[in-house]
Parts: sequence; structure tokens; C-alpha cells
Amino acid sequence: MAVVATFAYEDAFLAAAEKLKSSGFDDMELLSPIPLEEAQEILGLGKSPVRRFSLAGAIIGAASGFAMCVATALVFILPTGGRAIIAIPPYFVITYEMTILFGVLFTLIGFHVVSGLPAWNDKPYLEEANIDRFVVVVDSGSGEQLAQAESIIRQAGAEEIRHVEVE
Amino acid sequence: MNTLVDRFRALRRPGYFEEFDYHWTMTIDLDRCTGCEACVVACQAENNLPIVGEERYAINREIKWIRIERYWEGDYPDVRMRFIPMLCQQCDDAPCETVCPVFATYHNQDGLNTQIYNRCIGTRSCAIYCPYEVRYFNWFTYTWDEPLEQQLNPDVSVREKGVMEKCTFCIQRIRIAKDNAKDDDQRRVRDGEVVPACVQTCPTEAMVFGDSNDPESAVSKMMQNERGYKVLEDLNTTPSIVYLTKAHS
Amino acid sequence: MFDHGQPSYAEVNKDVLSTMLETGRGYWILLGSTMSVAGICFFMPWIYQLFVGIGAAGMNRNSVWGTYISNFIFWIGLSHSGTLLSAVLHITNSQWRKSIYRSAEAMTLFSLMTAALFVMVHVGRVWFVHWTFPIPNQMGLWPNFRSPLMFDVMAITTYLTASSIFIYMGSVPDFAAVRDASTGLRRRLYTIFSFGWRGTAKEWHTLGWAYTFFAVFVIPLAVSVHSIVSWDFALSIVPGLHHTIFAPYFVCGAIYSGTAGIVTVMYCLRKFLNFERYIGQEHLNNLGKLLITLSLIWSYINMLELFSTWYGGTSFELEATRFRLTGFYAPLYWEMILFCAFVPLLMLSRKIRLSWNKMLVISILINIGMLTERFIIVATSLPRKFLPDAFGFYFPNWIEISITIGSFGIFATLFLIFIKWVPAVSIYEVKETLNPLRRNG
Repeated sequence: MAVVATFAYEDAFLAAAEKLKSSGFDDMELLSPIPLEEAQEILGLGKSPVRRFSLAGAIIGAASGFAMCVATALVFILPTGGRAIIAIPPYFVITYEMTILFGVLFTLIGFHVVSGLPAWNDKPYLEEANIDRFVVVVDSGSGEQLAQAESIIRQAGAEEIRHVEVE
Repeated sequence: MNTLVDRFRALRRPGYFEEFDYHWTMTIDLDRCTGCEACVVACQAENNLPIVGEERYAINREIKWIRIERYWEGDYPDVRMRFIPMLCQQCDDAPCETVCPVFATYHNQDGLNTQIYNRCIGTRSCAIYCPYEVRYFNWFTYTWDEPLEQQLNPDVSVREKGVMEKCTFCIQRIRIAKDNAKDDDQRRVRDGEVVPACVQTCPTEAMVFGDSNDPESAVSKMMQNERGYKVLEDLNTTPSIVYLTKAHS
Repeated sequence: MFDHGQPSYAEVNKDVLSTMLETGRGYWILLGSTMSVAGICFFMPWIYQLFVGIGAAGMNRNSVWGTYISNFIFWIGLSHSGTLLSAVLHITNSQWRKSIYRSAEAMTLFSLMTAALFVMVHVGRVWFVHWTFPIPNQMGLWPNFRSPLMFDVMAITTYLTASSIFIYMGSVPDFAAVRDASTGLRRRLYTIFSFGWRGTAKEWHTLGWAYTFFAVFVIPLAVSVHSIVSWDFALSIVPGLHHTIFAPYFVCGAIYSGTAGIVTVMYCLRKFLNFERYIGQEHLNNLGKLLITLSLIWSYINMLELFSTWYGGTSFELEATRFRLTGFYAPLYWEMILFCAFVPLLMLSRKIRLSWNKMLVISILINIGMLTERFIIVATSLPRKFLPDAFGFYFPNWIEISITIGSFGIFATLFLIFIKWVPAVSIYEVKETLNPLRRNG
């Protein structure tokens, strides 16, 4: 059983979310059509772990970029233009590009890992949440906890409250 | 070059080679050159140069690994023509080698700037980077009408369209000479044993070819001549061809 | 920002999605024509050239590079606009970019694809072009990473990948909006495309961070890509090309031509997709100010080039410059100066900056000038290298001109396909610029 509440106004939505958080509903979900910094703060989402993926990607990219240049140059030693076989200026450019390439790819992986997407499951969702409504979803807890959640939401001025079956 | 340190030093050394096995060099005496273009014909015969045709020649699509450049001086009736044979200078610091993305051109242990036809993908950047404009591109797959294909040199490959080519100092002759020398008791190639087709054909013996690593070779002695200079020397391409200016001004 | 009053959130969804979900006959006619232009003007001559050889084009012994390379550089240049708007202005938190950045990013992606096609047209043996990629093979042969052209390969591959990821990830919430508004096969497809996006705070949080990191990565990438492209020229020792200013010159020129391209595309979006409400005076004004700044920088760099050539006084450089300014292509050179340095000065006037029709004309003239500039760099430097006997001349022939025209057809086709598959205006970012839905003010 899940409580799915629709709000037409942002401030009512955020007020309800704040009250719910302080009443202990830690794993509620706050759906909105635009990113809301306040909603993220209420849920205590600080710095995202995605940044670690980006950093890891950049470092791996730099290392593998330079390693690729050096290793491929050593397979057949083909001097060109009176330059050294391991030449720093050209290899720096290649390393730079690989740093960015791997940084971007790892950030992409990080996004999927951290956000849990793709998730084609049947979690509660309302189409209005992507148009112009703000939706609170409380889907865990005992019957009386859900009732308490419902009353908080009603007090905050929800437009509509639904009860949805959850697997 | 046994230790790891030695190997690393070699990999960081500009040009990689401490010294070349043979440093093939040529001198061209402009005083002796008559501009007869026999070298051009000889090169065409030896290296299977394609017959481009009159039409395409006129629009600057010719393929002449060695060409005679002509410069006119003065006004009629005191006109003078100066010419200079221009071929691949086999630069030790070749700008063309650095830019090929697939290593189709590189510097070998004999100081030659080699061109690998079957690796070339035809980006043509080497021709852009060459200051002497001695690189030629196969704009089409040229064919030889019968019976001209019978005079093709079997030691030299025939190039298809999309491939860059240039003077190789007749590397096929050098390779055969080195093989023969190796068979003949592992000796070195003697001075004068191998000459490219152009040097062989020059009627005035204006061109001298040999190993400049060998201080006794004819070419080393010619290089000492005070008339000697290198074309576009201040571009720091370190060419392997020394020209000797005309003796009088 | 909104010239005709703010739309509501629901109206934003409706306006943007209707351009995707409803298709009139005009669209199909336009798509058909751009595809015909692409097919007839680009692909057919290219296939002819593949069979016959590069000799089918107009290049010769000293001008071995021609319009294929100059068009390649033009299209890469055009691609820098999206990155600037998307990434740089995202980092600086600018509001006016929000309704136009999606289309600008799409322009980036499609210009890059067109540019990559030009590489394939240019190369002599394109069936071996995969040798420029470090793919393990039986021969044990690898590309030459010391080569400026390899910098190009790596840079453009990275830029293509990063741009595609950037535009895709930024569109995920909008794909969810499309999913919600459609039925049947389209709904299924967009369920997949949107990864099951629901809009939870956690998803927004992660997307926001990932997107910012993409932007942070893409900005130095864009600067490096066009610098690297310029180094294809500048790392040679050809007199007209061997200038250290080339990297800043090309990057500035790229952003300049790209921003002019955005003005042109925005005009078309307003006209054909009825986006007048979302793309208004403020956007035009800001784009105009950007163009004026870039035009002044571009003019300055051109003057710098002339000055350093004159000051250095080497005979080779002076001859190359003389040929450029007074030789056969002098009319083209001065046309370029007129369109890129003088005509944009009109934008100093606010009245002109706020007029869509005048800005359309100016932006098209700027891009004509920039296309000419790339051509001038190639066609006037290569025939004047070092040895006077080897000087030559280059004039493009009908195949090259046709392929140039065809490339615009390819770009237009890709863009037309884009507006039916991805919302051309970012729905959620536009909503962020609207007044927040608050009960109490």
C-alpha cells in the first residue's frame, strides 16, 4: 500500500515534504516536473556519488591514454620526422582527449548506477508529475504510519490523495 | 642496447637512431647538370611511374619523382635559365613523416624516408607538409596500354588510386645490393656498387650517390666541396641531398 | 524573456510535444527535398568518386587538399555553437539559454556527423580508414599517435561521443514527457528511451550532477577539438598555415560561425514550429551581443595575422599573403572580410539586434563568409609554398561544389529527423524559467 498525494503548488509540496521527513518518513519519494533544490535538501541528498565516477574515469582515461600511445609505439619502432619514439607533446594531446572521453563515459555509467535507472518497474507514478503537479509517494510503513503520513499531507493542502497497491 | 636504461634512452632520443647503418646521400653538381631530363625518364622506367597523359599533366596532376625546376632570370635578350633537379630530399627530420596517421611513411635505418604503398590510406597530409613538393598522389588507377606493361620493373610494385608515392633512392636496388653483399661473405656494400636509376643515367655524371657514413666514399668527398648547399636548409629538415652551385656567379 | 506572456507548465508540454506528435504535409515535403539534395548532390558524386578516384575532384599536385578539408573544418566549426550554449552557459547559470540549447546541441551533433562524412570523402582509400583507429589486428600495426591527424581522430571521436551523451542525457526527462503523451509503439519506444524516468528528487539530483560534469568535460573538449583541427594546418611548415595564432583563430571562428548558425536555426524553428512564444527578443539580443563580441575578436586576429606576416618579413610569407590579398582569390578574401568583419558591426545597433529578419540575413552572410574563410586558407596557402617553380593554382570542380551543397542537405535532413524524435525545446528547463507555482507568491 502506498500513499500518493498530488500538490498543485510547490510551497505546499515542500512544506509537506519537510514535515514528513521530520516525522521519520525517510524513504518517501518526491516527484516534480522540474528539479527542486529544496526537495533535494529535504531528503538530505548532498554531494552526489556521481562525482567519484567522473574522477575515476578521468584518471583511468589519462593513464590508459598515455599507456596506449607508448605501448602501440613500441610494437614496431618506426621513427618519424626525427622525433623521439616516446614524444611527450603529441602523446599529451592524445592523453587529454582520452581523459575527457573516459571521464564522460564513466560519468554516464555513474549516472545509471547511482540513479538506479533504467528502472522499468511499476513504482507509483502519475503523469501529472511530469507536467505541472508535485507528487509525494510514501510507500513503506505500517498502516498507522501511512495514516499519519496521510494526515500530514492533508494538512499541508494536497489537491488529491490516492491509495495505490504496490508489489 | 641491452640494458633497460639504454633502451629507454633510445626511445627518448630524437630520431631514435644513434647513427644510420648506411646514410645514403646524393650530391648533384648544378654546374654539370644540363637539364636534359634523362634522369626523369630513367626514373620513370625503373620505378613503374604511371603514364598520366597529356590532359592530366596540363592540370598539374603529373607524377615525376624527379623533376627539373626551371627559373628564368633577366630580360630578353639576356635571358638565362637556371635549373635544379628536385627529388625527395630524404630529410632526416622529415616533416612528412610525422603527420601520416598510419605510419605509411617513416625513417628507416639507412636514413631513407620510406613510403609503404599498401599502408597508405590517402589522407595526403604528407604532401601538404613537404616543403619541396616532391610527393605525388595517384589520382586515378593508371594503366599501361599493351605492350607497355611488358616494360614494367618486376622489383617495384604498381600503385593503385589513392596512394601517395615519391622518390625512394631506388630502394629496390639498395635492397638487392645489400642482399648480395650479405650473401657474399657478410660484407658491406661497396661504394659505387649501387646507384639509383637517375644517377646511373645522368650523361654528365652530375649526380654522385653513396654512403656518407663512409669517409672514403665518393659522395663524402663531394660533400666537402665549398660549393655545397642544401635546399631550404633553414627549415631544419636536414635533407640528404647536397647541391653544388654553379662555379661562376 | 517571454514576449507574449508566460505560458503555464501544461502549455509548455503541449506546445513542445505537439511539434513532435503532429506532422503536417509541409514537413514531409521539406524532408523529401532535403533528402533528395543530400542524395543527389552528395552521395551520387561521392560514389562516382569512389569508383574513379580522387582525381574526379579538382585537386592537383600542390593543392592536394581542397574543399573537402575546408568543408570539414567549416562543419566542425559550426558544431561549437551548441557546446558554448549548452555547456558554458549552463556552468554560468544563464537563464536565456534554456529554451534554445537543445536545438543548438542537436546542431553540434549533426555538424559533427557531416564533418566526419567529409573525412571519408576526402581520404584516398576510404576502405582502409579504420586503420586510423587503434583496433587490434593481425598485422600488429597501430596508428601513429604522434601525428596531428591522429589528434584529430581522437578529438572528433571523443567530441561525437560526448556530444551524443550530453544531448541524450539532457533529454531524458523530456523523453518521459513524450512517453506520457503518446500511445502504442511510440509509447513503448520512449519508455525505453526515458529509462523509466519518474522525476523523483533523487533522479533529478543525479541527473543534475551528471549533467554538470558532462558540461565541465565538454567545454575544454570543444576548445581542444578545434585547436587540434587547426593544428592539421599549423603543424605544417607551409608559409600561409604555419602560424601559432591558428588555434585561437579557429576556435574563435568556430564559435562565431556556430552562433550565427544558431540564429539561422532559431529563425527557422520559430517560423516552422511556431516557437515564437519561447524564443523571443531576449534570446536574439543576447545572441547578437555574442556575435558582435566574436566578430570583433575575429577581426582582431585577422589583423594580427597580417601584422605578424609583415613584421616578420620572410619572403615566403609575404608571397603567400600577397597571393591571398591580391591574387586570383582576392575577391573572395575581401568578401570574407566584408561579411565577417564589417557587416556584423551593424549589430551594434540595438534596433537591428532585435529584428529577426535582419539578424537572419546577417547570420547567413556571416556563415557564407566563414565558409569562404576556410576555403581561402586552403586555396591560397597551398599553391604558394616554398619553391616558385612549384607554385600552382586550385579551383574546385563541379563534383566538389555539388558535394558542398549536398552537405547542407545532409545537415538539414538530420535536423528535420531530430525535431520529430526529440523535443526541440527543453520542456523542463523552460519550466524552470517560469514563475514558480507558489500559492503564496
